[in-house]
Amino acid sequence: MSHDNWLEQLRRGGLDLAILLAVANGPRYGLAIIEHLEAFTDLVVGEGTIYPILGRLTKEGLLEANWVEGEAPHPRKYYRLTKTGGRRLREMKAEWRAFAEKIDRLIAASPDREGERR
Amino acid sequence: MNLTETGQSRVNGYLFVLERSLKTFLPIDVVRDAVREIESHLRERVAASDGLPNEREALERILLELGPPLHVAKAYSAERIVDEAIATERIVPMLRAVWHLAVTTVIGFGAALGILIAYLVGVAFLSLAILKPVFPNNVGVWVRTGDESLRTEFPWRLGAQFPIPQNEHIVGGYWVIPICLFLGLLVLVVNHRCTVKFLHWWRSRRVLSDDPHLGTAR
Repeated sequence: MSHDNWLEQLRRGGLDLAILLAVANGPRYGLAIIEHLEAFTDLVVGEGTIYPILGRLTKEGLLEANWVEGEAPHPRKYYRLTKTGGRRLREMKAEWRAFAEKIDRLIAASPDREGERR
Repeated sequence: MNLTETGQSRVNGYLFVLERSLKTFLPIDVVRDAVREIESHLRERVAASDGLPNEREALERILLELGPPLHVAKAYSAERIVDEAIATERIVPMLRAVWHLAVTTVIGFGAALGILIAYLVGVAFLSLAILKPVFPNNVGVWVRTGDESLRTEFPWRLGAQFPIPQNEHIVGGYWVIPICLFLGLLVLVVNHRCTVKFLHWWRSRRVLSDDPHLGTAR
């Protein structure tokens, strides 16, 4: 696997969690989710790729969506976490932390070979 | 920024291409909802834009950040069709995903052709196993009879022949049933696994090829 491919898989693996986290504190519409992700991460590499993921998460029952009119000159589609989504988010957070902890332990246990040579 | 008529036409053109692309594989109500959401995104971005240095360049920048309509449609297909096929590994979603890739990409067309041929070969083996008890004298391993020195074709072949040719006869008897069952199931299982691997590969390749920061991995 190339470095780019590995990075992409890593990014893709984290994107579902990041989107669920973006709506954890309350409903947000698509562009607000994108701006929230862009403010904290570099996970969004194409704005157009976020909407299909939102659609899939909605189809899986993790998010629910509804159109709100009158708030802006154009209608906005708001996403909020469902109960299932909330449960899944808790599981994903715990798994992500456990995973990151294990990798951190491995990195800490691994000597820095490049550094040793110097 | 308020769009002029030209700017509005550009947005409408983008949405038209997106809608046409999505219609090829998504239900119409899902397409309408997706296009409405993308339109909302564009209007939001346009409203927040300062329109500098001019409307055309500002609008093109907004559309570039969103991605070309065909790439957005591909992202929908990856999430909705390919992901469903990979997640469930059921025949119908997988065939739907392969069909979609076949009609939208050249690589998908080639892969779909190979997958279709492999499925047909598997089904053909299974059909022979089923037909053998029904037509014991017509199904099996056929060998040519007569002068060996005149033989130019492959000496035997597997299949069903109606009516029975005069210069050929069947050998092997009912052993053809377990052999065909084994070969048919083997081909179908291997083909199924290969199809899943292809869809995995296509999904990772699609995301990489759309990613301006990771563009070298194409």
